[in-house]
Amino acid sequence: MRNKIKELRTKYNLTQEDLAKKVGVRRETIIFLEQGKYNPSLQLAHDVAKTLKTNLDELFIFD
Amino acid sequence: MPKDKLRLLLMVSLSITLLATIAAYGYMSIILNKVNIGSSVVIILPLLVILFMAFFITRKYKDVKRGMPLEDEYSKKVMLKASSVSYYLTLYWLLFIGWFEEPIANLVGLQNLDAGQTTGLGIAGMAVFFFFFWFYYSKKPNLA
Repeated sequence: MRNKIKELRTKYNLTQEDLAKKVGVRRETIIFLEQGKYNPSLQLAHDVAKTLKTNLDELFIFD
Repeated sequence: MPKDKLRLLLMVSLSITLLATIAAYGYMSIILNKVNIGSSVVIILPLLVILFMAFFITRKYKDVKRGMPLEDEYSKKVMLKASSVSYYLTLYWLLFIGWFEEPIANLVGLQNLDAGQTTGLGIAGMAVFFFFFWFYYSKKPNLA
């Protein structure tokens, strides 16, 4: 599953640590999320999408 | 996050208690002139556990200081996976200790292992398995 987290995070000038703090997770989780190596829970996916002012369909690309 | 700090403090207290127990055991072994390879193993293995705890606590402390949560869904998954795998392997480890108790005891210069030494060996083995798998799974994404 690919995603646009890095792209949108950069757009809003957020560091991985900033995003991690905003959604209440550790930085490693954001790193793995951006690399598409970790499938988040629905709650975390929702929180990330909300923080990056987008929706789940836009943020995650299901191959 | 006061809850995270409290949990961290609890981990530090546990490590200090374990360290104090080992120190007391070591001191008593010296006083009673019972220092041998067996008692050294009983001291060295928990020390390994404390080393792991120190590494773990330092890492967590730095994160909490930076405003990160002590744990999140990913780290909980890592913990769960490492715990379950180490528990499963410990069953085999305990069987191994049971079957090869005498050769293990001879290896450390004893005739037999007493209940305390056997339990200590079992727990230490579990701790080593846990450390290994925790480290492995924290670096390996795509946890099922």
